[in-house]
Amino acid sequence: MESLTLDMIFVMAMIAVAVFLFIVEWVRVDVVAILVMVALPLIHLVTPKQAFSGLSSNAVVSIIAVIIIGAGLDKTGVVNNLVTPVLRLAGNSPSRVVVAVSVTVAGISSFMQNIGAAALFLPAIQRISKKLSIPISQLLMPIGFSAILGGTITLVGSSPLILLNDLLVPFKLEPFSLFDVTPIGLALVATGIMSFIFFGRIMLPKPKAAKSEGKSERQDEERKEPAADDLDHVRELHTPGDFTHYREPVRVADLRARFLVNVVGLTEPPDFKVISPRDTTVVRSDVDLVVCGRAEDIARMAESEGMTLKPQLEVFADDVNDQNFGTVEAVVAPRSNLVNKTLKELEFEDRFQVTPLTIGRHDETYRSEIAEMPLRVGDVLQLHGTWKRLQYLQSARNLLFTMPIEVEEIQTEKAIVAGFWLAAALTMVIVFKIQLSVCLMTGALGMILTRVLTIDEAYASVDWRTVFLLGGLIPLGLATEKTGTAAWIAHTVLGAMGTVSPVVLICVIGLLSTFFTLVISNVGATVLLVPLVVNMAVAAKADPRMAALTVGLATSNSFVLPTHQVNALYMGPGQYRSVDFLRAGCVITVLFLVVMVGMMYIVYGI
Amino acid sequence: MAIVSISRGSYSQGKAVAEKVAERLGYECLSRDVLLQASDQFNIPEITLEHAIKDAPSILERFSHGRQRYVAYIQSALTRNLCRDNVVYHGLAGHVLLKNVSHVLKVRIIADMGLRVAIVMKREKLGQKEARSYIAKLDSERRKWTRSLYGVDPWDPTLYDLLLNLPRFEVNDAVELICRSAEMKQFKTTPESNKEMEDLALACQIKAAVVEKHPDVFVASKYGNVLVYCTEGDRHARKLKAIIGELCSTIEGVNNVEVHAGVTPPANAV
Repeated sequence: MESLTLDMIFVMAMIAVAVFLFIVEWVRVDVVAILVMVALPLIHLVTPKQAFSGLSSNAVVSIIAVIIIGAGLDKTGVVNNLVTPVLRLAGNSPSRVVVAVSVTVAGISSFMQNIGAAALFLPAIQRISKKLSIPISQLLMPIGFSAILGGTITLVGSSPLILLNDLLVPFKLEPFSLFDVTPIGLALVATGIMSFIFFGRIMLPKPKAAKSEGKSERQDEERKEPAADDLDHVRELHTPGDFTHYREPVRVADLRARFLVNVVGLTEPPDFKVISPRDTTVVRSDVDLVVCGRAEDIARMAESEGMTLKPQLEVFADDVNDQNFGTVEAVVAPRSNLVNKTLKELEFEDRFQVTPLTIGRHDETYRSEIAEMPLRVGDVLQLHGTWKRLQYLQSARNLLFTMPIEVEEIQTEKAIVAGFWLAAALTMVIVFKIQLSVCLMTGALGMILTRVLTIDEAYASVDWRTVFLLGGLIPLGLATEKTGTAAWIAHTVLGAMGTVSPVVLICVIGLLSTFFTLVISNVGATVLLVPLVVNMAVAAKADPRMAALTVGLATSNSFVLPTHQVNALYMGPGQYRSVDFLRAGCVITVLFLVVMVGMMYIVYGI
Repeated sequence: MAIVSISRGSYSQGKAVAEKVAERLGYECLSRDVLLQASDQFNIPEITLEHAIKDAPSILERFSHGRQRYVAYIQSALTRNLCRDNVVYHGLAGHVLLKNVSHVLKVRIIADMGLRVAIVMKREKLGQKEARSYIAKLDSERRKWTRSLYGVDPWDPTLYDLLLNLPRFEVNDAVELICRSAEMKQFKTTPESNKEMEDLALACQIKAAVVEKHPDVFVASKYGNVLVYCTEGDRHARKLKAIIGELCSTIEGVNNVEVHAGVTPPANAV
């Protein structure tokens, strides 16, 4: 074994700094990767050419292409075309719905980024939940986990697997082909789905209605939080003739501040109707207004302000109806421009002419001063407005909408074209055995040339954070191998472990990968561990390709904490808490490792 | 009807002015009673509260949040009393807290240094030099105290509606001016301004209830919609919501309670 050199010490220090920065999150993960990319040639651990080789690697090109293809599928409403037949097949049974949608999501996720597939399906799942009255918490977690597990079905399903072949190049090991992992991935997906079907009662949180039955008497006497769907109350009121007498003007914003009631329409004398009035609009005497809010708040406002609460819509009956208007839930999308901004800063109401009613975050619903709350990924905004304005807002792609399917624009002919290019890319890989990155980029280019999406839309869809994360960490893996650091660590660890069988080694690698993926990104874990485990496998006379494959698979084993992007996205709409992920995640994590090792034994004979 | 809040430099005859204003208007005069009430309600010795309200915080106190707690108790007792209306309050912790309540007439009484020195020499039996140092020290402490608690300089004239310089005005002249101002229509209690006062009292009440375990929260109330601002994460916010929800369920006039984590509190939050 080589003795410890200064270069090895520098590499280990670099790894330690990177891991530390990933954990503490003082800077974003992609900034850490760029820092590494710049520091490595400065310390002469790699050449400048090698330092930036990651950005032109097959992995990075493949991920860019996969993202563009995913954006094309998203834009053409491919998901909506799938949802209806899937639901018809599943019927009304919650278990069948979970299985059907999970399988579909897993399938999509095998060719798209997990987060892309999860985001695509979120509005559809919310619709299904409402339509079939299945609590959303019973649907989102199984489907979210399936999206993550689906990433293990093909070599393009997740960033670690996309990265794998590039990391094997320095070792001159045979690359994996697109479907080499498929038997293992399918087994993992099946295990994940079945565990929720059979053990869902233990693994999933109880729906809120069931929870409240278990409350003590004392808690029952306290103020109960009304259910979020109370806000669907749309009522019409009439202001008295002396409403404006002897008082300061009452504006729309004042009614919201005082009574947490949103005015979605009012008349200006004599009978001019204003829909989605601005905050500064004055409410006059003897006018009609239509409001949205909790029943108790509307009643309180009527009593306090002397308004007449009408039993049904009269003046606004034709304007505020389901044909023209609606209330939708919209989730703040990953990488949305709205993240960390407030509705006030965005001038949201003025720009989009829709009324934000509430913000849902984890299991809380916020109604008061919501314009001052910085938005986060996964926040659920309840919005009221005309379908036309909501569709305009949807087209900005910052929010994932639960729109009625009849209202959504579905470009069926474009969906076919998008599907064609995906199939073409896969055919090139499978039949003609062309390099994966070339095939995927061909598919992406095909979508752009056939106007499934424009080149600017393609550029806008690329997640540069992932690109730089991959591009920046690949040279670190290279440095780890080139300096002999990986070999040194491998020999040291093996020395401590003693002689182990290949199966035990794979199990240990699986556990290490699972641990590291929870504390640093899956890409970071892959880049750091692959050189190490390959060396360990060579030293232990096990198959180094299988060791690397174990890392590529097990770094998707991220269920225990809501750190994975999919879990973070579903946490808000599903009203989950961290402990919910801990409970279900522990079960899935153990099953994942068992099934993965078992399948590798069966399929590859490790 | 109004509330008159009189801020006074030490030994500036402010107390005498306040008492005469209260007598003339038929208002209640509050100062030390607030401390007594807070002491009774929260079981803190009066001397501790007095120390908290008079002296500038030491470095250690800034970390222990003890002073914040005591001031929260005093503010809770004060605002509860002020909801009764028709009150003259002269003491610390008042005028900046009440700056957003429109029917509060905020008065600052200052006095010429010569007059103050003469008063101190007479009362405290000190020489001229010692008296001057003593007054300077008191002024400095009070200025630091207000700055540390509210982030404002109590000598900033824009904090007040009326600033009176004795002995340019005799005490009776000052009383006359204050009483006339208090009777002006802009200082009359309206339903809206009364609601502002009730909201402030509610916010102070909730703050006093949670400040011991959660010293870094801010509380605001608007028309009975209580908003609590905390800096910690969502898990902490949920625990806080449960505590405050339970507390508010026993208080009249609370329509909604929310805890906003990671949101900058507004200027009027306590």
